[in-house]
Amino acid sequence: MIRTLEQLLEGVVGGIVTQLNNLLPPLIVAVFLFAVFFVAAVLVRWFLTKAVKGARMDRFLKEMGLSNMLADRGDVHTTPLVAGAAFWMILLVGALIGLSLFNTQLTTRMVEATVFLFPKLVTAGLIMLAGAWLAQFLSRSVLVWTHNEELPAPRRWAAATKVMVMFIAVVAASEVLGFAPHVFFAAFVIVGSGAVLAASLAMGLGGRDAVRRYLESREAAKLDREDEKSLWNHL
Amino acid sequence: MLTGFPRPLQRRKLVKVAVPKNTKQIQSMPAEARQVVDEIRHADIVVGIPSYNNSKTIGHVVRAAHAGLAKYFPSYNGIIINSDGGSKDGTPEVVTQTPMQDSQLLLLNTPMKPVNRLSFPYHGIPGKGSAFRMIFQMASMLDAKACVVVDSDLRSITPEWFDLLIRPVLEGGFDFVAPYYHRHKYDGTITNSIVYPLTRCLYGQRLRQPIGGDFGMSQPLLNRYLERDDWETDVARFGIDIWMTTIAVAEGFKVCQSFLGAKLHDAKDPGADLSAMLQQVTSSVFLLMREYENTWRGRTGSEPAALFGFRYDVGLDPINVNLDRMLTAFRKGAEDLGDVWKLALRPDTLAEVKELARTAKPGDFHLDDELWVRIVYEFACTAKSSRLERATLLKSITPLYLGRVASFVVETAEMGAAEVEHRIERLCLKFEELKPYLINIWFGETPAAAAPPQSSAPGAEQPEQMEV
Repeated sequence: MIRTLEQLLEGVVGGIVTQLNNLLPPLIVAVFLFAVFFVAAVLVRWFLTKAVKGARMDRFLKEMGLSNMLADRGDVHTTPLVAGAAFWMILLVGALIGLSLFNTQLTTRMVEATVFLFPKLVTAGLIMLAGAWLAQFLSRSVLVWTHNEELPAPRRWAAATKVMVMFIAVVAASEVLGFAPHVFFAAFVIVGSGAVLAASLAMGLGGRDAVRRYLESREAAKLDREDEKSLWNHL
Repeated sequence: MLTGFPRPLQRRKLVKVAVPKNTKQIQSMPAEARQVVDEIRHADIVVGIPSYNNSKTIGHVVRAAHAGLAKYFPSYNGIIINSDGGSKDGTPEVVTQTPMQDSQLLLLNTPMKPVNRLSFPYHGIPGKGSAFRMIFQMASMLDAKACVVVDSDLRSITPEWFDLLIRPVLEGGFDFVAPYYHRHKYDGTITNSIVYPLTRCLYGQRLRQPIGGDFGMSQPLLNRYLERDDWETDVARFGIDIWMTTIAVAEGFKVCQSFLGAKLHDAKDPGADLSAMLQQVTSSVFLLMREYENTWRGRTGSEPAALFGFRYDVGLDPINVNLDRMLTAFRKGAEDLGDVWKLALRPDTLAEVKELARTAKPGDFHLDDELWVRIVYEFACTAKSSRLERATLLKSITPLYLGRVASFVVETAEMGAAEVEHRIERLCLKFEELKPYLINIWFGETPAAAAPPQSSAPGAEQPEQMEV
C-alpha cells in the first residue's frame, strides 16, 4: 500500500520536476524579456511624451470634431495617446515573444491567433471609430436641420440617424473580424426591412392622417408666413 | 451732385494689381461675356446688378442706374451689367429691353447718352457672390475707374444713389463706399445684432450697413478682391457683402459711407433661408476674423467713418414680426440643440441660455447684451477651430438669433428711430467692452483670463456722431 503511494508520489514529483526542467528556463527568460520590454516601453513612452508635441495633430482632431467625440469638452491631446499606444504595443510584443519561448502547442496557437487577429482588430477598431465619428456628425446635422425646418421630434431623428450609422459600423466591423457575420448582416437586413415595413404600414393604416395633418399644419404655417411677407430683411 | 471732398486726399498707397486676362479668375467668365468685353474694351463706370427672378423690380433699378449715369456722369463711359442666376421670369429680358425715356423727367439739357446694358448668366456656385464675381471680372477687364453694385429688388433706389456711391470713388479718393440708409427698427436684424457691432468692434470702423448690398468700389480694391482665392466658399453666397467690407476695412483701404435715404425692397418671406443666410454670413465673418486676427487683436475702440450725402427723414413701411414664433423657436432650440450648443458655448453661458429659455415669457423677455456678446464670441472661437462641423454649428445659432431679435422687439416696441439707434449703439459698446474676453478665448489664453467679465464698464454710452 505504502509502496504504491510512494510510486504514485514519485511519479507526480517526477512529472513536476520534468515540467519544471522544461518550463523554468523559458519562464525565466520570458520574465526577463518581458521586464526588458517593459523598461523599453516606459522609456519610449517617456521619450514620445517629451519629444512629440503633436500640436498639428491636436488641431486636426479638433477641426474634424474627433476631440469632442473622445472627450466631453474636447480637450484631447495626441501626445499621451500616441505614447500610450506605443507603450502597450511594446508590452504586447514582449508578451508574445515571451510566450513563444515556451514552444508548446498552446502558446504557439495563442501567439499565432494574436498575430493574425491583431490587424483585424485594428481595422475593426478603426471602423468603429469612423462609424462613431460619422454617426455623431450626421446626427448633429440632422438635429439642426430638423429643428430649423420645424419638423417634429428633431432629437428622435438625430438619435435614429446615430443608431443607424452605428449599426452599419458594427455590421462592417463584425464582417472584418469574422465574428458572426451572418447574424449581424441578417439582423441588419431584418431591422432595415422592418423599419421600411413599419413606415409603410404606419402610412397605410393610421399614419396617413397624421402625415396629412402635419402637412396641413406646415402649409398653414407657410400661409401665415405669406401673410407676414413684408419688408423684413434680416441682412 | 456731391461736392466738397477734402483735398488733397491722402490715398492709401496701394500696389496696383494688374489682372491678366488669362488668369483662372477670368477663365471662369462665360465666353459671351468675355467676347462683349473684348468688343467694348473700356468703360469708366460699371454698374453691377445681381439678380434671380427679379423681373418685377429690376426694370426700376436699371432705369435708375441709367438715369444716374446720364445725369451725374455724362462725360464718363458707363455700362450696366446684370449678372443673373438663371431666372425663369424673364429678368434678363427686362434688363435689356426696359425703355429709357427719362430725359425730360430728369430735366436734362442734352439727350441721354446711350448706356450699354448687358445681361449674362454667371457661372459657378449659385449665389450673390458668384454674381458679383462676374461683374468684378468684367469691370477689371474693362479697366473701370469705379464699380458700383446694387440689389435688384430695390423699390426706393433713385438716380442719386449712383452719384452718392460713385463720386466718392472718382473724386474723393475713396476705395469703398458703404451705404447708409434709414431702415425700419426691425429691418436688418442680422446687421444690427451681429454684423455691425462685431465688425465695428474688431476693425474699429463704424460702417453702419456693412452688409447693405449697395456699394461703390475703386479699381485697386476690385483687383484685390479678384486676386483672392476664397470665392468658392460662403463668399459665393450671402457672405459676399461682409467679405467685401471686411477686406476693405482690414486691409486699410479708404472707406466711407453715403446716405441713400430709405431702403425699401420687394416683400419676401422673412423666414425663407434664414438659417442658411445666417450661417453664410457668420461663417464669412468668423473666417475673416481668423485671417485678420493680427489686425484686429491690437485695435481698441472705434471711430466713425466719413458719411456723405444730405441726411433727411423718410417714412418707412411697417414691418410685422411674429414675437411668439421667435420665442417658440428659441425655447425649442434650447430643448433640442443643447448638445450642439455645448460644443460652442462655455458651461456658464449655456446654463444662462437654458435658464432664460425655461423662463421666457413674451411680455418681458430679455436676452441681456452681455450674454448675447458672449454667445457671438464663443461661437466665433469654436467656428475657428472646427472646420468640419462649422456649418452645422453656425446653423444652430438660428434659435439664439431669433431669441435675441425677440428680446430686441420687446425692448424697442415703444421706441422711436433715434432711441432704437441709441439702443444699438449700447450693444456695440458692449461688444467693444468685452473685446478682451474675445481675445482671451480666441488666442487660447488661460481659463481664468478667459472668464467672462462680471460687470460692465460704466458710462460709455455715447450715440454715434455722424458727419453729414
